[in-house]
Amino acid sequence: METPKIKIGIIGMGRMGITHFSIINTHEKAEIVSVADTSSITLDILKKYIKSLQVFKDYKELIDVSKPDAIVVCTPPNLNYQIIKYAFEKGIHVFCEKPFTADRKQAKELADLFNKSGLINQVGYGSRSHDVFIKTKLLIESKIIGDVIRYKSEMFSCAKTKKSNGDSWREKRENGGGVVFEMGSHLIDLNNYLFGPAEKVGGTVLNTVFSKKVEDIVSSTIFHKDGLAGTLLVNWSDESYRKPMINIEIFGSKGKIVVDFYGYKIYLMEENNSLNMRKGWNIFKLPDVITPVPFYVRGNEFTRQLYYFIDLVCKKETNSICDFNDGLRAQEIIEMLFIDSENIKK
Amino acid sequence: MDSIDKIVFGDNQFFGINHMSQEKSQQLSEKFYDIKNIYKVYDSAIECGIDAIMLNSNQRAPEICEYFRKNQSKYSNLKWYPSIPYPHKYANMVAEKGIFPAINELIFSNNTTSGVLGMVTKGSSALLSKDAIKLMQMLIDLEIRMFKGLDIKVIFLQNIVTDLMLGYGIKEIFEEYCYYVKRKYNVLPGFITINLPFCLNKLKEWNIKDVVVCSSINKIGFTMSPNIETYEEIIKNNDSSVYQIMAMSTLASGAIKPQEAYDYINQQNIQSVVFGASSKNHIEETVKMIKL
Repeated sequence: METPKIKIGIIGMGRMGITHFSIINTHEKAEIVSVADTSSITLDILKKYIKSLQVFKDYKELIDVSKPDAIVVCTPPNLNYQIIKYAFEKGIHVFCEKPFTADRKQAKELADLFNKSGLINQVGYGSRSHDVFIKTKLLIESKIIGDVIRYKSEMFSCAKTKKSNGDSWREKRENGGGVVFEMGSHLIDLNNYLFGPAEKVGGTVLNTVFSKKVEDIVSSTIFHKDGLAGTLLVNWSDESYRKPMINIEIFGSKGKIVVDFYGYKIYLMEENNSLNMRKGWNIFKLPDVITPVPFYVRGNEFTRQLYYFIDLVCKKETNSICDFNDGLRAQEIIEMLFIDSENIKK
Repeated sequence: MDSIDKIVFGDNQFFGINHMSQEKSQQLSEKFYDIKNIYKVYDSAIECGIDAIMLNSNQRAPEICEYFRKNQSKYSNLKWYPSIPYPHKYANMVAEKGIFPAINELIFSNNTTSGVLGMVTKGSSALLSKDAIKLMQMLIDLEIRMFKGLDIKVIFLQNIVTDLMLGYGIKEIFEEYCYYVKRKYNVLPGFITINLPFCLNKLKEWNIKDVVVCSSINKIGFTMSPNIETYEEIIKNNDSSVYQIMAMSTLASGAIKPQEAYDYINQQNIQSVVFGASSKNHIEETVKMIKL
């Protein structure tokens, strides 16, 4: 007999919810049974064209009535805590969009709950599933550039290049708005993934450019274990970037790695025969690195992380690529950045 | 079905879209900041015998279209292959407001200013009656307006939208898109996709015919989902009288040498190639290498 498909409910049909629906719908072992959103127009239109879909305005109803095996949470971050906690009580696996929550304490409580539960939990920090960063992580672990000593990490986009009226959910820090939560969290998590969990931050500066109530630029120094340190700069008000871009430069005792979405370059002080790389620069472009995903929407990383989650649910395995503990670690750094920037102003 | 042009000149190079490197992307962006440099490259392409242009409906497209309309006597043979929409325009709006409120705002803001009241009425009633098809038709009209007066051959749906919609698997959307494009504009409907096998299989399953499908096709399988083998199989067995296939990303962002890339392309059952280049030499060489 064919094993039944795992039933999935999506909560929040904004940009990420819309994307995740498309991708999950192509996975042969998953079936989207329900969606919840506050917009009745969105729900009605979906229902009109996808007859079998159950739609709800309330996430509790979605969980109680459609009884999914797993939910995908794509709501503004300040709503995640109550939704995920309710899912936990009902024994439901959770994929949650980044950032995990808008509050560190809530993140801690959720991570603790899920750690003991055997429920699969994942946070959607997609960069961990991006071809170039998967490869970068392996290169660092191979010690090809020796011990990592310092790094420089930057992320830019043109997401906020006009004055706003301050009305959107994204214009409040307590909702999880602002460049630190929305964009910086990606880079904070990526640094944790590549260099190990950060322990403290220093010299944090936040700037406002176009937003009314939240910051548009953040810069800071990030401290990891054993003296490893790096800088972080995130700016979403830079119109010269057509789409989001991450640049990381990693300096080690035997060379360095420079990586962005287009590929990576490795400078070696000595040739490395086992990895077939010469002394000096070795250049690898995206086509050398990338492996296609079964179905592509917007980027390989989106499909890779969701298929990974679904496969874990199918196999009932909890070794997530980015679990709630990782989500909590990013959250801790986010809180440290805000506190540090306040302390500096005093 | 009308045959499409074997060689179509693309536009990525003009808008700083380069998958090879950030610096290259920036250089191109600077070079083509002056729109006259874009026209010069188009002239070179035309001198090399190209008379078909694919252009995405981005912020600079209206000005380019206007130029070609004004100089229609000089460019009377040109055929146009617009791709719509320009996705980045919508991305932030959708993230902030949700998809339908964003569409709503777009339709309203674009029309109240230019005084096209009919569309506003049509838009609000489409939203009220939850008619996604009507909304889609209005978005097509909105995006294609800038190409008015040009000789359009195919209207392509840009890949982010095609692939997103493919995932939902809603037959009606694809059916109605094709129907509307054929009926209202009297041109061929086209889909750009990174999932060519998935797309062709769906179109067949839904019995949607006479469509052009454009997809990245290259020797190393770059941005070809699920994999190159599935692509080769479906291309080999494709009936080109029903689905014409256009290859893009043939050089895999420069990872394959041109001769090697086109030796591969020339062996496939492909009807057309879209490529972009910014020097006359490159255009000339590429045109010589394509033998479909």
